Amino acid sequence: MTDEALVTNRNSDTPSTDRTDVFLAITVTALCANLWRFFMAYIECRNLTRTYTKASTTITPLDGLDLDIEEGSFVALMGPSGSGKTTLLNLIAGIDSPTSGSLMMGAVDVGKLSRSKLALWRSVNIGYIFQLYNLVPVLTAYENVELPLLLRNLSAKDRHKKVAAALELVGIDDRHDHFPRQLSGGQEQRVAIARAIVTDPKIIVADEPTGDLDRASAAEILSLLQQINVELGRTLIMVTHDPKTTKYAGRILHLDKGRLLELESSTASAPGIHP
Amino acid sequence: MPGLKFLPLVLKYLVRHRGRSLLSLGGVATAMFLFCSVQAMQQGVREATVRNANDTKLVVYRQDRYCPFTSNLPQNYEARIAKIPGVKSVVPVKVAVSNCRTGLDVVTFRGIPSDSFDLGSFSHAQITDGSVESWKRRSDAALLGERVAARRGLKVGDRAEIGGITIYVAGIMRSPEPQDQNVGYTHLDFIQRAGDNRAGIVTQFNVTVTDPGQLEATAKAIDDEFRTAQEPTTTWSEKNFVARATSDILEIITFARWLGWGCVVGVFALVFNAIVLSVQDRIKDHAIMQTLGYTNGLVARLIIAESMMISLAGGFLGVLAGVGVMSWGSFSLSVEGLSINIHAGWATVLFGLFLSAVTGILAGLVPAWQASRREIAACFRAV
Repeated sequence: MTDEALVTNRNSDTPSTDRTDVFLAITVTALCANLWRFFMAYIECRNLTRTYTKASTTITPLDGLDLDIEEGSFVALMGPSGSGKTTLLNLIAGIDSPTSGSLMMGAVDVGKLSRSKLALWRSVNIGYIFQLYNLVPVLTAYENVELPLLLRNLSAKDRHKKVAAALELVGIDDRHDHFPRQLSGGQEQRVAIARAIVTDPKIIVADEPTGDLDRASAAEILSLLQQINVELGRTLIMVTHDPKTTKYAGRILHLDKGRLLELESSTASAPGIHP
Repeated sequence: MPGLKFLPLVLKYLVRHRGRSLLSLGGVATAMFLFCSVQAMQQGVREATVRNANDTKLVVYRQDRYCPFTSNLPQNYEARIAKIPGVKSVVPVKVAVSNCRTGLDVVTFRGIPSDSFDLGSFSHAQITDGSVESWKRRSDAALLGERVAARRGLKVGDRAEIGGITIYVAGIMRSPEPQDQNVGYTHLDFIQRAGDNRAGIVTQFNVTVTDPGQLEATAKAIDDEFRTAQEPTTTWSEKNFVARATSDILEIITFARWLGWGCVVGVFALVFNAIVLSVQDRIKDHAIMQTLGYTNGLVARLIIAESMMISLAGGFLGVLAGVGVMSWGSFSLSVEGLSINIHAGWATVLFGLFLSAVTGILAGLVPAWQASRREIAACFRAV
């Protein structure tokens, strides 16, 4: 209902009609607010800035960035080296904090959380996949995947169920007792993906997850990430240099010198899950 | 400390860095073994000079003589001492040692009159094998303290030559008093003949007084009695007698205490170094854990737990080795016929373990603090 309509109704001579219109106006406003809340972006960056000072030099990898990312989307972050991709990814993952601006994740402003609260928030909301896998070398594949579950109040039996399910999902359940040095790069990255999804986080961030893999392994990993995005409905944000990998993403963001240059939608994105 | 569910994680880190852990463990165990040995010596001194001192007992010695070989008193002093007011009983004792030097395997023979011998009134010892009757029946019989018997592998019925004196083992006795554990009680006349073959001469008189409050007065009365005699005497309370005799060795053991604390500092330095290196090697691992949601505090506690476990495990092995060696060796340090038994009791074991744990915790504090303060993103950039 427009303001003009409301004014017209107010000028009406019929008191009952006037009351009905006011009631309708309130109802519609409340409905719109709820709908806006329902469709609003899950990740909201407003004027997000990150600067690093080293000696007398100040570097600004992110400079006043505004960005919305919807829940369940698969976003590829592209850009040249030093454009701020990994910085943005680290801020979203909560392993770095913005210098200024706000970073809302759902109802939480993660930029304002203390270190311990941020750690707790990460353990619940974030799964991180690194370019170089970053598995703990003295732990087996199983133990690496179990590592984030130790923070949960779960019995050993429940932990075992979750780890087994995650390893099975990434297709590496036959290598659970292998140490990272006994696995190929592709297998290590699968273990890292299992570790990222085992806690069932809302957001999975991946920093060049195929950067250290051959073409065939890279394709397998990207298919797996797309499968996680589609089947589990998890929000996936991936930094990549390779334009070919962006076909798996639903949305591609280009960053340069800390600013968002352009937005585009991929035609090959997973169906039905992107705005 | 982290929850119990994290302990397997800490253990995996230790076990799977086998080389580093074993080297650290070996170093800590060696240092704690040395510490335990020094503690055992100190405990022996305490037991010999404090706990065993009986304030109703006096020891009468030859004036200006400080060694059983030179303290020669006529046995007939016994009757004169017995008449002094306040004296309850007098036992003439001839002391002979198997070795006149200070050593870890010196056996002291104490010859005492067999006709009036009553073990219960003379000592707190109990016969564990053999009997006093058997001892009384044979002139060459000896009642051996169980440490001597264990060290020499002797049992009842054996004959043995110790320091040129051949004895028959008539009984083995157990006593809370250190001086009884490393001794062989023989007949007085036997040891007088077997030693320097001087019948009628004894080394000392062990005197029991009726009133502990009159100890000093009685000692003075005894010395006054023999002031003008050919062999004047000096009388000490047993406590002072042992403390005087062992004063030289006490200085050495007091110095050894510094060595013991040096070992503890060594443990600290060793564990600190091992944990610092380990933490530096694992900057990325800790950053990964923090990325997964491990708080800074939890990472710090895991590092401290690792430090404590390696120190405690090394300490346990060292203390265990110390206790084992002390028990197996039954070592006694003898001075002037008095014994200081070297053995690690429960107090030493518990103190050693406590110190290992505390040292481990302290050694882990700084590396844990450093690791917990690192920025995660900076850690990934650094490696």
